[in-house]
Amino acid sequence: MSDTFSYLLMAWLDPGLLGLTALGVLAGIYIGAIPGLSVTMAVSILISFTFSWDINNALALMVGIYVGGVYGGSRTAILLNIPGAPSAVTTAFDGYPLAQKGEAGKAIGLSTVMSVIGGLIGVAVLAATAPHLADLALQFAPRDYFLIAVMGLLLVSSLSGKSLARGIFSVALGATIGLVGMDMVTAQPRLTMGSMELLGGIHYVVVMIGLFGVAEAFYQLHNMAKVPVKQNVDKIIPPLNMVLKFLPLSLRTSIIGVVVGALPGTGGDIASLFAYDHAKRTVKNPEVPFGEGAYEGLVAPETANNAAVGGAYVPMLTLGMPGDAVTAVMIGALVIHGLNPGPMLMIETPYIFWFTVGNLALANIFLLVFGLTGIKLFTKIVEVPKAIMIPLILVLCVVGTYSLNSSMTEVYWMLGFGILGYWLKMFGFQMGPIILGVILGPLLDESYRQAMSSVGNSSGDFLLGLVTNPLSLVLTSVIVLVLLGNSPLKGWLFTRFKRD
Amino acid sequence: MIKKIERVRAGEKVFDWLLLLFSIGVLFEAYRIDDGLRLNSAGSFPIGLALIMIVSSLAILFSHRRKQRDPTILNAAQEFKVFLSEHFKTHIIVFSIVSMMYLAAIVWTSFYISTFIFLAAMFVYYRQGKIISSLLIASLAIAVIYVLFTMVFRVYLP
Repeated sequence: MSDTFSYLLMAWLDPGLLGLTALGVLAGIYIGAIPGLSVTMAVSILISFTFSWDINNALALMVGIYVGGVYGGSRTAILLNIPGAPSAVTTAFDGYPLAQKGEAGKAIGLSTVMSVIGGLIGVAVLAATAPHLADLALQFAPRDYFLIAVMGLLLVSSLSGKSLARGIFSVALGATIGLVGMDMVTAQPRLTMGSMELLGGIHYVVVMIGLFGVAEAFYQLHNMAKVPVKQNVDKIIPPLNMVLKFLPLSLRTSIIGVVVGALPGTGGDIASLFAYDHAKRTVKNPEVPFGEGAYEGLVAPETANNAAVGGAYVPMLTLGMPGDAVTAVMIGALVIHGLNPGPMLMIETPYIFWFTVGNLALANIFLLVFGLTGIKLFTKIVEVPKAIMIPLILVLCVVGTYSLNSSMTEVYWMLGFGILGYWLKMFGFQMGPIILGVILGPLLDESYRQAMSSVGNSSGDFLLGLVTNPLSLVLTSVIVLVLLGNSPLKGWLFTRFKRD
Repeated sequence: MIKKIERVRAGEKVFDWLLLLFSIGVLFEAYRIDDGLRLNSAGSFPIGLALIMIVSSLAILFSHRRKQRDPTILNAAQEFKVFLSEHFKTHIIVFSIVSMMYLAAIVWTSFYISTFIFLAAMFVYYRQGKIISSLLIASLAIAVIYVLFTMVFRVYLP
């Protein structure tokens, strides 16, 4: 017990870790706020710089950036109607109308407080549930891991874009990229097209930096001429009665955020959409209609997207499944440091779990401090012109990629993935599912092969196991429901049901 | 009730056909791993993924049946023109070419010199002049990169 407490408070008591967490949160707020920069991009690039660091220092910085970044996206959503991050898209619905009415300061203050409440609830749920889930996960068979990974990939395919087919293609493409190289079991080259250089595989950080950094830089070139509207920001600390008024909604949407965030492959953007929808359905008579500056429309998504951070860590630390794109990248960071995200993490290195919990809580405290101060400086910094930012992003991507293995070939790969990502993005494909595919592809392959070996390579026994084992049955049912829910069959069934 | 018409972007169909061709290429490569189809081998999962990619890209192509082209685009030649004007704007082409030149230059000049030239050139181009301030910002960026990556992070630079 005393060990647990010392791990929990490690980041609070060590000045170095305290400073890195604070720096991470501050940097995250700006990274999340500046359109064109993203938390995933920042964390992807950071992995390559911090892999030689002590794991605690690297995690403290990354956790800070994650927490700050999820919140930071809301600032530009409110001030400029440009969500800095996908999780802040719903914040703009009511946040920007509030700013137009001259209530930008109050809106930012309230969103800060609600984000912190959501964030802390997410951390509490993580601390309370993850150890039990990890115990349960120890009993999972390879088949169950396979099913969980399939479920996560299907969920992200169906929720992250307008088209399930595009989502599934993205996931499969990512998984294919993840499998390039020598097979770990048989040492056979796979998908290398005879190239010796590809035998070692394509480093996932290279793919991440390309897809999230370079592709985004190219994508931003399309909106070069867009000039943001400037807003005046007054006093931002919200009155206590206002916070108390929206507290019940905040608590409800926190739970939504944690649950949605904990679904493998979802994340803050989906959580905030669910929460906004919940607020619209449950708040019958808002003072101002939703979409025209209702504070409820601001509170719900802001609480949920920060609560989703804690939720996203649950599957990551207990099952080794990323809750969202950032935790997918974090898994990469843990693996690079020789750790094993999944149920064994709690047994082999429990201090990492409790350190992360304590660090997340600390990051939320810093979020409150930085969120309610320095707004004048903030409005200046987010006005960095794209003409300066875009070339700098490319330089950062080059440095980040090269520092991984000192290989210019990887830099060229990174640029190639950036160009591919740009075209995919232009035609409606999402980058998140591709990255999740890259991370989960090898895991899926491994668990599938283990599961098949465990039943003597009998496909009949494998399929039978899907419906005879209770856990496998539940997971299979979810997969079938997700597939049915996104197929034309749903529309047909719905029409028949209505007619009857 | 008026049904919202989904529009297909210029070049989207060609891109989706290319994805299908790519998926078929992946299937071919995956099949070569074991020179056949086995249920549990190094090639089984890549084959499964390639088949998923083929089916989903066919579904994407099939979904175009519900979409319509922009009414102003009447033929393939016009679509090609719109595609070029949308995706090959001058500033995107310039950025692409200069980026490739920059990556090539890193190998035979030093990282700092090539980065400075790249940043300064891009800043001057995108800011339409403002040479002095662009050079100052590029110098400042190089200084920050040096402090951050060489002194603080101590990473290997190209």
